[in-house]
Amino acid sequence: MSQRWVELRRREMASLLQPERVLYLVHGEKKIRSPLSQLYFCRYCSELRSLECVSHEVDSHYCPSCLENMPSAEAKLKKNRCANCFDCPCCMHTLSTRATNIPAPLPDDPTKTAMKKAYYLACGFCRWTSRDGALWGKAINKLIEYYQQLAQREKLERDRKKLARRRPFMPLAFSQHTIHVVEKYGLGTRLQRTRPGAPITSLAGLSLKEGEDQKEINIEPAQALDEVEPLPEDCYTRPINLPEGTTLRQRLLQPDFQPAGASQLHPKHKHLLIKRSLRCRKCEHNLSKPEFNPTSIKFKIQLVAVSYIPEVRIMSIPNLRFQKESQVLLTLTNPVENITHVTLVACEEGDPEDINSTAKVMVPIKELVLAGKDAAAEYDELAEPQDFQDDPDVVAFRKSNKIGFFIKVVPQREGLGDVTVSFKIRHDFRNLAAPIRPSEEGDASTEAIWLTHHVELNLGPLAP
Amino acid sequence: MPLYEGLGSGGEKTAVVIDLGAAYTKCGFAGETGPRFIIPSEIQKPGQQQSVKVVQYNINTEELYSNLKEFIHMLYFRHLLVNPRDRRVVIIESILCPSHFRETLTKVFFKQFEVPSVLFAPSHLMSIMSLGINSALVMDCGYTETLVLPVYECIPVLSAWEALPLGGKAIHKYVELHTVLVEQCTVDSDSSTGQSLPTVIGKIPASGFIMRFSCFSVRTCFVSDLQRGLKIQEAKFNLEGTAERPTPPPDVDYPLDGEKILHIKGQIRDSVMEMLFEQDNEEKSVATLLLDALVKCPIDTRKALSENLVIIGGTAMLPGFLHRLLAEIRLLVEKPKYRNALATKTFKIHSPPAKPNCTVWLGGAIFGALQDILGSRSVSRDHYNQTGRIPDWCCLSSPPPESVYDAGKTPPPLMKRAFSTEK
Repeated sequence: MSQRWVELRRREMASLLQPERVLYLVHGEKKIRSPLSQLYFCRYCSELRSLECVSHEVDSHYCPSCLENMPSAEAKLKKNRCANCFDCPCCMHTLSTRATNIPAPLPDDPTKTAMKKAYYLACGFCRWTSRDGALWGKAINKLIEYYQQLAQREKLERDRKKLARRRPFMPLAFSQHTIHVVEKYGLGTRLQRTRPGAPITSLAGLSLKEGEDQKEINIEPAQALDEVEPLPEDCYTRPINLPEGTTLRQRLLQPDFQPAGASQLHPKHKHLLIKRSLRCRKCEHNLSKPEFNPTSIKFKIQLVAVSYIPEVRIMSIPNLRFQKESQVLLTLTNPVENITHVTLVACEEGDPEDINSTAKVMVPIKELVLAGKDAAAEYDELAEPQDFQDDPDVVAFRKSNKIGFFIKVVPQREGLGDVTVSFKIRHDFRNLAAPIRPSEEGDASTEAIWLTHHVELNLGPLAP
Repeated sequence: MPLYEGLGSGGEKTAVVIDLGAAYTKCGFAGETGPRFIIPSEIQKPGQQQSVKVVQYNINTEELYSNLKEFIHMLYFRHLLVNPRDRRVVIIESILCPSHFRETLTKVFFKQFEVPSVLFAPSHLMSIMSLGINSALVMDCGYTETLVLPVYECIPVLSAWEALPLGGKAIHKYVELHTVLVEQCTVDSDSSTGQSLPTVIGKIPASGFIMRFSCFSVRTCFVSDLQRGLKIQEAKFNLEGTAERPTPPPDVDYPLDGEKILHIKGQIRDSVMEMLFEQDNEEKSVATLLLDALVKCPIDTRKALSENLVIIGGTAMLPGFLHRLLAEIRLLVEKPKYRNALATKTFKIHSPPAKPNCTVWLGGAIFGALQDILGSRSVSRDHYNQTGRIPDWCCLSSPPPESVYDAGKTPPPLMKRAFSTEK
């Protein structure tokens, strides 16, 4: 049993770096707990944002196979499909154009034949090839125009009623009773007025009236048929040839025709993909805006949380035993370039945000100082390490912008289930987005504000 | 006025039309001739092999909210590729849709996606818009149920609704439960031949089997005509075994994923669909629904309704379904139960300009192209934020129309009350 446990522990150690072990709490409409790598930070509101509390917008369209950017007007015209690339209707793979030589009569001399190149589309995966197929559309323009007229009529009636009521057609003197009557009738006509959510039944009152001088579009109402075509007789006796027919998925990919036979399948233009931009709902600033070029993976604006908020990671966990104090080693990384001061505060009793913790935690009382992130530091070996005078009981090691520190954990719950602890991390944040006010001292440093985040750690199960 | 060709035709952008069905969702833009996509109403949760059905009425609000949110996110950003904030939404719904589902759906649209307005359109009414007629007896053969609702002069006759849980879902269950049929089928795989189906079903993931089964039923099954169908039913229910079953169609070798081949007996191909027309203990079948609804309608409307039948829904696309349905109705109307009740004996059926599974969507798209009407009849985001709920046809506590005078204010002087200002 112990060997199995050792194996489990080994696997668990490998999974310590998994981001779901450390969760940050996001205050939004819903309280969301999520790893820092999946969060965004709005530096105008100075708050963490998750994918659920930002609004998503379509930024640009592009074709996934030819990687060509398409302006949104063109995309709308082409129904979000690429002009050059096609999809196999059989297996949805991208089709490639092939050429073949076919004998065809020369235009000047019909008796001689010459080899002419003909192009066709072929699928490299399922070996489907194209053939000519005329695509036709349906004409329901007339129906739309007819209903357009009905809609205009309803609008006119509504406007007319509005104006009619404003006209003073009531005599000057009338009693309270008459007012009620008027109100009653007034409400009566009001009921006919469309209100939001009324069932769409009032189309009933709108038929084309006689004598309207507008050009009347008359549609022929559809004719009902007496007889329906029966099944062909050989349906009962003919053996089915499955490759000749289409599967449900193939049919539904072409909603206009939904062909039953495989010979009627046409290649479809490839559907585009989009690049998405994110926007904070409160301040309407962009949190993430990708590059226009489809081949570029960079971002124009990328306000991700890991580049502003210090990240807590679990480094090593000793054997946790019920009601026994153990020391857990955590690391704290500073993502910004200036020195950051971090204070950890344990959660108080009855903290509404502290719902998942199953162990008591003692965090270091002193303030932890993190050096700024310096990209050149790793190459510069001669640089003197900054002297921070760390307390060896609290700080285990320090390496450029990262420190390792200890917390003491006392599991409070016995049995199965993971040990979870939570605490608050308070750090100073320099808002570079704020306009720099020219100060008289000549010191252009911006004001630091203190942010507090609630962090939850999952330390794994108790040792047996 | 071809507004649907809209690049810059002025006015607002085209509305999004979504028909959220139990099995498939049809989505697209108003003013177009067909939906852009027909996709299964399912979402794939990370880490789980089985996909989750989006249209479920019995799960709690939290889970339903997150399922719907993910599904609609996928609709907008994978298929429609437009910003939700810019366009109005037309949602086609069944009148039997539970209020809880409807409210959660509205909340997702308004709170999460911040659409400008939402309009819930009843499916039976929308289906007649694509035909240009005013009255019809509409039958929707869908996945969970078959629902009949007459519409007279553009008004749904709500009191005459009829429904039966006979649809795609029932057909799947029927095959699963009728082990006699299932046991006769064998499966060949690369390692063995002649394995019985039940042993293999356990190894196929459940969702794969259902999807494959609906694909199988679409490709190989059909609805026999009336004479043949009655003989099959007789043979099935005849306990002495004297009735002779008509010769079944040829067997089919249906490939499952990989190397497995399913040998399906021919009997299944024609007898599976009989369950739609078999009359159960209450003597109800898909055909009696139409006649029962007709009997419930006012007498004056019956002739117009019976001569305008509209059959929509995916299950109605089975080969031979319409022909059989018409034949069944004509047979049943001679039975004593209906002969005295119904004077009309003529039945005529419409063929809509779109496939039966897209007809309702098309009606919604036509309606969505009427921009003024859409604007005035939709529930706007502001209205929803103020009242916190959407009006429902079955809910009497819907807020009254915009009042002329607020309750708290002092009533205006007598003269002005006569011609009250409206909002």
